[in-house]
Amino acid sequence: MTHDEANELLAALALDAVDDTEREAVEAHVAQCPRCQSELDALRDVAGALGNSVEPLPEHLWSAISSRIYESRDHEMPALTLVGADGTPLSTRRRTFSARLTRSVVLPLAVAAVVVAVLAFQLASANGRVSKLQSALRSGDASAISAALKAPGHKLIDLTGATDHELGEIVLLPNGSGYLVHSKMPPLGTGHTYQLWGVVGGKTISLGLMGSSPGHVSFTVAGPPTPSELAVTVEPAGGTVQPTTQVVAAGTV
Amino acid sequence: MADFSEVSDAQLVTSIGRYSEVALAEAYRRHGGAVFGLARRVLNNTAEAEDVTQEVFVRLWNQPEKFDPARGSLRSFLLAQSHARAVDVIRSQNARRARESKDAAKTARGEYDMQNEAWDMSLAHHVTEALASLPEDERRAIELAYFEGRTYVQVAQILNQPEGTVKSRIRNGMRRMRRSLLEAGVNEVEHS
Repeated sequence: MTHDEANELLAALALDAVDDTEREAVEAHVAQCPRCQSELDALRDVAGALGNSVEPLPEHLWSAISSRIYESRDHEMPALTLVGADGTPLSTRRRTFSARLTRSVVLPLAVAAVVVAVLAFQLASANGRVSKLQSALRSGDASAISAALKAPGHKLIDLTGATDHELGEIVLLPNGSGYLVHSKMPPLGTGHTYQLWGVVGGKTISLGLMGSSPGHVSFTVAGPPTPSELAVTVEPAGGTVQPTTQVVAAGTV
Repeated sequence: MADFSEVSDAQLVTSIGRYSEVALAEAYRRHGGAVFGLARRVLNNTAEAEDVTQEVFVRLWNQPEKFDPARGSLRSFLLAQSHARAVDVIRSQNARRARESKDAAKTARGEYDMQNEAWDMSLAHHVTEALASLPEDERRAIELAYFEGRTYVQVAQILNQPEGTVKSRIRNGMRRMRRSLLEAGVNEVEHS
């Protein structure tokens, strides 16, 4: 489909007034044409204005939506079973993970820490979801990072690898917000994600998933005290409630 | 529990990406009525409109990255989703039920019922004025396409006009609407 042909159909597309074949052809062109993309966005705003007729919502509708998202969450999110690094349920024994963490930064872990991780921190879930969202919101995050780097009281933490080469840099604000400023961590294969951990009060807690190819990552520490150490491990795509592999990068706050 | 009542739509979607149901509930509070209202208007069926509304918000939950704040407001994005799904429902029905028996031309000439809009009456006013200012043939083509869920080819058949003519009328009418709304200071469909 030529530019002119596609452009002629943008208004009809904004109204969903084209058949599937034409829609696919126009969308394929739009994906390659910023001018048409911009015009289509504007026309969709017009369509939105046309269709903006608010009606009272049926009372039961939110309950139905809430039930469905719980179903989808159960399906997508990792089970929060409290298991050890070798898969043994933590409830059966006490353990630490220092043997697994061969770098100098030792991340002591106890059952209580896992509970804290689950309850006090919002563990971002599915790897692809997080990385795609961060990509979509990149511009917003970039400006947030820029602001964070100028904010009073911010701390910069270098994340270094096993041979002390720099793998990334994190900025942490006094209010608990943190951002990955840049990353040299190599992309992972499908099925894996980088996961960020913090040591808070001697306990290791998850600060969230960083995706398989970390770009702009933001996270929040629930409250004081701030972490004394940050560490990154490679975990299965859905993330884990505790580190299960060696630390690939770490830094002192 | 986090209070999302003051945060921007973009921040809401970020929080939805982190599985915050409270954030989704706030998005639903802000935009659910519009999503449901459009679906009901297009489908003329409350139960089907509820299904569409569910689909739209479950999709936002599962695929928040589909919303790009650089390309428009969350309200516009959700309305586009609602309309597209409502149209899918219409087109997936082999028989267009009672809708087929409607006098399409009469429907197209009907007044817009903006009375029930609880949100931004000034926008409703501007939209009504912009529509009213369109040439009749452009307005009818747009109404049939958007509120009846018809393709421009179907609109051409209903109006007994060449497809190319209808395509042009829709395009010219939408561009004219765009200019009118811009002149009225409406840049995009924001939430209240």
